[in-house]
Amino acid sequence: MCGISGVVGLKDVSQLLFEGIRNLEYRGYDSCGVALMNKTRLIIKKDIGGVEGFYRKHDVLQQKSNIGIAHTRWATHGKVTKGNTHPFTSRDGNFAVVHNGIISNYRPLRDQLKKEGYKFSSDTDTEVIAHLLEKFFKKSRNPEKALLKTLNLIEGTFALAFICTYLPGHIFCAKRESPLMLGIGDEIKFVGSDFNAFIDHTKNAVILDDGEYAILSRDSYVVKSILNEEEVTKPITKIEWDSETSKKGGYPHYMLKEIYEQPQTISNALDLEPSGLDDVVEMFEKAESSYFLGVGTTFYVAKYAQYIFSELAQRFIPPISSDEFLSLANVNKKTLVFAMSQSGETFDTLSALKFSQSKGAKTAAVVNVMGSSIARMVDKVILQGSGPEICVISTKAALSQMVVLTLLAMKLGLKKKVISKKAYQENLKSLKELPAIIQGVLNERSGFIHRIANKYCKNKNWLYLGRGIYYPIALESALKMKEVAYVHAEGMPAGFLKHGTLAMIDDDISSIVFVPPKEKKDLYQSTIHSIEEIRARSGFVLGIHFTEQGKNHDLFSEELILPNVPPLIAPLIQLVIGQLFAYFTATSLKRNIDKPRFLAKSVTVG
Amino acid sequence: MKAIILAAGKGSHLRPFSDTRPQPMIGVAGRTILDNSLELLNCSGINDIFVVVGHKRDKLIDALREHDHDGLNIHYVEQKQNRGIGNAVMQVKSKISPGEYFLLLYGDILTADNIFSKIQQSFHAFKCPVASICLPPSNEQFGNVFLNAQMEITKIIEKPKSNNLGNYVLAGVFVLPASFFQLLESSGASMEKALKKMVAGDGLRASMWEDEWLDVVHPWEILTANKMIMDSWEESSIAKTATLEANVTLQGIVKIEADVLIKAGAVIEGPCSIGRGSYIGNNSLIRSYTSLGKNCEVGSGVELKNCVVMDDTQIGRLSFIGDSVLGENVDIGSGCMTVNRTIDWKPITVKNGKRISTGMSKLGAFIGDGVVVGAGNMIQPGTVVHSGEIIPACYSVTHK
Repeated sequence: MCGISGVVGLKDVSQLLFEGIRNLEYRGYDSCGVALMNKTRLIIKKDIGGVEGFYRKHDVLQQKSNIGIAHTRWATHGKVTKGNTHPFTSRDGNFAVVHNGIISNYRPLRDQLKKEGYKFSSDTDTEVIAHLLEKFFKKSRNPEKALLKTLNLIEGTFALAFICTYLPGHIFCAKRESPLMLGIGDEIKFVGSDFNAFIDHTKNAVILDDGEYAILSRDSYVVKSILNEEEVTKPITKIEWDSETSKKGGYPHYMLKEIYEQPQTISNALDLEPSGLDDVVEMFEKAESSYFLGVGTTFYVAKYAQYIFSELAQRFIPPISSDEFLSLANVNKKTLVFAMSQSGETFDTLSALKFSQSKGAKTAAVVNVMGSSIARMVDKVILQGSGPEICVISTKAALSQMVVLTLLAMKLGLKKKVISKKAYQENLKSLKELPAIIQGVLNERSGFIHRIANKYCKNKNWLYLGRGIYYPIALESALKMKEVAYVHAEGMPAGFLKHGTLAMIDDDISSIVFVPPKEKKDLYQSTIHSIEEIRARSGFVLGIHFTEQGKNHDLFSEELILPNVPPLIAPLIQLVIGQLFAYFTATSLKRNIDKPRFLAKSVTVG
Repeated sequence: MKAIILAAGKGSHLRPFSDTRPQPMIGVAGRTILDNSLELLNCSGINDIFVVVGHKRDKLIDALREHDHDGLNIHYVEQKQNRGIGNAVMQVKSKISPGEYFLLLYGDILTADNIFSKIQQSFHAFKCPVASICLPPSNEQFGNVFLNAQMEITKIIEKPKSNNLGNYVLAGVFVLPASFFQLLESSGASMEKALKKMVAGDGLRASMWEDEWLDVVHPWEILTANKMIMDSWEESSIAKTATLEANVTLQGIVKIEADVLIKAGAVIEGPCSIGRGSYIGNNSLIRSYTSLGKNCEVGSGVELKNCVVMDDTQIGRLSFIGDSVLGENVDIGSGCMTVNRTIDWKPITVKNGKRISTGMSKLGAFIGDGVVVGAGNMIQPGTVVHSGEIIPACYSVTHK
């Protein structure tokens, strides 16, 4: 998925193009580029990284031009390199093209063009379009005819736009299966992957259908059929909402969207290339000492990792919060530092990794954003492939990382013969059930969580309690509550209660307890004891437990019952409940869900 | 996009108020549910509206003719016999051209924020049929949906008997293609079956509605609806031609329409709305969540609290009306009281056909259009008085 934006107007369009692709960044932000025109000369700027950084670095806003096209890329195939970044120019530099989609027959086309002397600077399918345009233009001296010839030759899907020096005030664009629409303003015309590209400037859109192309100039536009070149009369669609809401599809907030994407992102994590995981497992095996590194949510992922590595691989690996790393860690050449980060730009984690590398330690990481600083600097990176996470509160990235770490622990355990081949297979089977079970929980339990959250949203203090591996789940769930609902929530091992905390139990403090399945006998029993301690002091307890325990109103003040699941994945299911409970509490309290106060998506400051 | 509003049903659970009007003509917070929907539709950019009418259609058509709905093209389509929702939708078939998408809305649905804008946004994101879904207070009465991560509805379970589903439910707002009529035809005009076919076939996406939503089914839900709309108010408005005499106290958000006369000493505690031409007598106390229709007369020393009073109703002096709904043209004699709780505070049951527990510990009476209640009556909590009934005055001393 990529984003396309194009503008032709009276005045300078750099700023509009910038806003256009920045608004399309949700379609990808690995790399981006623009093509502008100075009189009859094309100016091309491109680089890896996000739109804001790119514009700052290259002073693109200083370039004066009244026409331009821009592109933001989310790499699915091929590397994130400057060379693979759009726009692409033809050999003579007179055509600049941006494209979203896949040209399925680009290899034979490229081979043919190479024979004819065209040189290719990238691995992408798009570059053939630029060269084909030049080739056909030479014959017809007409950009429109060149476009049609090119479109007749290419197979696959496309939304594309190009500008050329021969007709400097015009943008040409065409669509087949990938989205593309026009924005119609006075003395200004836009093209974009969707109306987010221009909705702040015009609400009048013309939605192109498959097999149509359009030519835009500042004061006019025409839409034609690729098949017969006849003009098509298109209605103007009035868009009556702001740009922010339209990107969320059917979801009210990105946070809920990303919670619902978890079955998919977990499947992606389970489908990761095994060799990449095996390399990291080998690093763990070789290292004399190891650390897990994370901060905020990823610190809790690291704590989860500590428990799962202890359970499945009998390895004690301390998790360290990145900001405390320098005070705690003793690293040397035989140390492995394994980091977790969604953005791959987290300042504290980056500093800790740099420090470790300076001491000669080996480093590895699980990261969501390809091409990010952490992804590039560590010795071995696992790209979790969860797709862009837009809500500032991390949900799907964290859960997927937990799945990746569970896989790593299983592999290490198998290698060290801590778990048998059979146990490994069973665990793998359990993990593979996880996406469907989460889907079921989201479908059938949302209403109950919503009702409980609605009823208790005014409660000011929550204790989040869990034992064993349910303790990091409690911590992470409590952090969600703090971040999105601004409600005081404290994660704690349930065993802590009787060592002092019980004194706080009164009407003003409520508890949530993550109860393990009954198969985990000792853990289950000790958790129940903790609940009884609270209940004996008339404390409120919301129990999140599994069906086999039946309804238990005596034990819990309020309960949420989950279907029976294999014990390995039970804590991960409960985390989904923790996420939803925080989300619905926040909606009941009318919080700013996707951009909570005092928090940025990737904390890049120290 | 065209919108279709289904307003033909009888809504028999809503008796006594549905006996004399179509369900969407119920008034809450100073206007009807239909007016609320029309305004939201207009704001979402829809102005071609087809209303399917049937039961008590004249009342609806007359009321809309009287109203000034600027910029709306309202057309009426009649469902001659009450043959269910699917059949009502079929009546509009000829108005929708092939390939066209339309917005379908059940007339008794109420939201404060704009659910129609939301579903159109979702439709433009998906470019395929969409159903609004929401989390209701209970799931038994609705179509429970199952989703996958792409927001495709994979299954619908209608009105589950056991109470173990916590799913999102169909919210009664859809964007559907003209081809939906064929699905209805091949399903014996059953809405449920046609939707299921759509789910199994071309697919139906969901648009989640996270704000308040209400399906007004029972008469006490009129009070819930009234509160829901009033809670969404942000500012007061007082018409230029309203007269407030000395020592009238206004608190909170109040909406006072043209030609209202409020006599000296009255206290109005918002949120409240007082309809055009109404009269509030001296020293009356109008407490929060009171909605008074047009041309109502409230005698001196009356207390009103959390109640919906429809147009042209009179409430005699020194009465108390609380947690109650009064229809149009009701005449309450002086010194009447709607008792609104039992002595043990148990949830109040309402006998409306069958007896139902409302779960509410405070609830007054539901008095249909044109009822006359003589002076001095005490009305039991949860009582339904049917339209046109006459209840004699209640004397403790007579001349016989």
